[in-house]
Amino acid sequence: MQNLIERQTELSGNIVLLCRFLRKKGFPVSVIEEADALSALSLLSVRREKEFKEALKIVLSKNQYQFKKFDGYYHEFWDQLSKAVDSKTKENLERKNKRSEAKQQEIRFDSLKNWLNLKPSEEEKAVSSYSDFEALTKKNFSDLNEEEMQLMMRLLEKLARSVAHQKSRLRKVSKKRNKIDLKRTIRLSMRKGGDIQKLVYSERKEKKLKLVLLCDVSKSMDLYSRFFVHLIYAFQNAYDKIETFVFSTALHRVTAILDNYEFDKAFDIISDRVPHWSGGTTIGSCLQDFVSGYEHSLLDKKTIVFILSDGWDTGEPIVMKDAMKAIYKTSRKVIWLNPLGGSANFSPDALGMKTALPYIDLLASAHNLESLKQAILLLPKKRSLVNHTSYL
Amino acid sequence: MKDIELGQIQKMLHQQGYIGDGSIAMSIFLAMKLEKPLLIEGPAGVGKTEVAKVMAKALHTDLIRLQCYEGLDSTHALYEWNYQHQLLYLKMQEEKGQNAKALEETIFSERFLLKRPILQAITHSKKPVLLIDEIDRSDEEFESFLLEVLSDWQVTIPEIGTISATHKPQIILTGNRTRELSEALRRRCLYLWIDYPDFEKELAIVKTKVPEVDAKLGQQICVFMKELRQLKLEKTPGISETIDWARALVSMHLTHLDKQTVEDTLGVVLKDWQDMRHTRDALSELLEKTGVVSRIG
Repeated sequence: MQNLIERQTELSGNIVLLCRFLRKKGFPVSVIEEADALSALSLLSVRREKEFKEALKIVLSKNQYQFKKFDGYYHEFWDQLSKAVDSKTKENLERKNKRSEAKQQEIRFDSLKNWLNLKPSEEEKAVSSYSDFEALTKKNFSDLNEEEMQLMMRLLEKLARSVAHQKSRLRKVSKKRNKIDLKRTIRLSMRKGGDIQKLVYSERKEKKLKLVLLCDVSKSMDLYSRFFVHLIYAFQNAYDKIETFVFSTALHRVTAILDNYEFDKAFDIISDRVPHWSGGTTIGSCLQDFVSGYEHSLLDKKTIVFILSDGWDTGEPIVMKDAMKAIYKTSRKVIWLNPLGGSANFSPDALGMKTALPYIDLLASAHNLESLKQAILLLPKKRSLVNHTSYL
Repeated sequence: MKDIELGQIQKMLHQQGYIGDGSIAMSIFLAMKLEKPLLIEGPAGVGKTEVAKVMAKALHTDLIRLQCYEGLDSTHALYEWNYQHQLLYLKMQEEKGQNAKALEETIFSERFLLKRPILQAITHSKKPVLLIDEIDRSDEEFESFLLEVLSDWQVTIPEIGTISATHKPQIILTGNRTRELSEALRRRCLYLWIDYPDFEKELAIVKTKVPEVDAKLGQQICVFMKELRQLKLEKTPGISETIDWARALVSMHLTHLDKQTVEDTLGVVLKDWQDMRHTRDALSELLEKTGVVSRIG
């Protein structure tokens, strides 16, 4: 293995290139993995293409996503590499008589290098974009590109998780050995004549947040709905007890889909299942459906209800009012996230919004990370402590 | 064991009745050669745990299994003093009047040590296969504890001293993706993802595991399962369900599927009432795709 690395054969050189390429694609390839890859290849007695690829796949990928993507990247890499090598050899032949063309070839080879992202300047750029983090927290969700979205989601999931695991003051019996529960230990020893034979431990009970998420995916929310599905996906991963619904003209329970699939697939399935994806909205009747179908099974005084919507309701206000009232009464807290709240001249004027306002504990704007963070941090607080008008 | 060839592993897997594609044999091969733990992920019932069992069998060594669960901690994974025995022993010795130091030495000796899977694996006389099953069910603290053991291969027991591994056990970790594992753990392992098998592979598995199955029935079962997995179910059935179902149908002496039997035996395959209802509704269509309905209609 050492030999292989030192000798810098063409193969090992190419493997290093491949590792760099994969690193750019988000694979966590460090020097250790590179060394592993090289020693793995040195073990294969017959270097058949397929085995070669399998071995690299097993060593270099570290999760399901990478494992599945590996083949594609692998072929892409060798295709580009062989193209580049072709042009390079050609270049050597023709350099003598056609200088200008040779130069062109060189540009092609350079562009390959660029494509492989090997130029240090590119790497520096990537680093600097991460430090634009401050700006990102204030950026409106509707203008996010895919990469920023990923970063944002990681932040949100972390945030959501930190809120999810709050310890209660109550204690429960624990398998972990941290604090001895003397009362129980002694009580247990009574049965054995007072000899303490088994120690009972206790730990603080976890306060589990129960969440119900109702997400509007109608036309007026189009700009934000992809983001919101991202958001509920992040939430779903962070909280154990969470139920998610999406609605436009009808209500759909999507908890299981989000639980079982990767984000993109989940998003597709949800778009499939919800026939009026990005159609008109009847918030009132959807909420009514929720109340009649799930009030008793999902709502209780420990549950926080999140509604993600802009409040543009095309139904009767009275329906909405009754539904909101029922939700407010049976839940611990109702939080309404309105993405329009970010604009300077926003006031909750939409009729739907006005109707719902008395039954909302917190109306928060959810147009950027900053505002969303505020709303999430308020989750564990009690109802009376929540500031009713913190939306601006 | 170190000079094993890739071809031999493929042959061993085959002999043990484990049908897998090239990547499974390759990952076992590399894990043994590079002496790295192997992390296997995949949906339920595709034979993740089976890999470890087959590996131990093929290498003629013991399989030590550590089943993870929430709240699993180092005492359950490493060692524990047999407190009750120590107490009894002390009581018995009290009458004899032994000196305190000798007593202490005796009760903190190996005799009163309960070896849990990891310590067992470390002190085993022959290089064992250590299966750490469903690692994602354990807590994060346990995961970091595991990292420590995986890098040092020694365990320190304050009363006895440090025990170093006589052989580095071959580690297999499995997970169901109920929780995202830490990057640090992933980086120490080789990775293998096992997915549902394609039709040919599944048929081969059924034929190996249930040799008495009728050729036609086997084929129908596998087509049906393939179509069933296309439905968006809550709990998609794995290969173990296919095998169970094939066994069930064989024990009923059937040579082909029909609608009534499928409906009656669906409980072998599906374990969720919503899936059950969903599948019943789509059954005619499913069977049509399997090529069963024409015979009945």
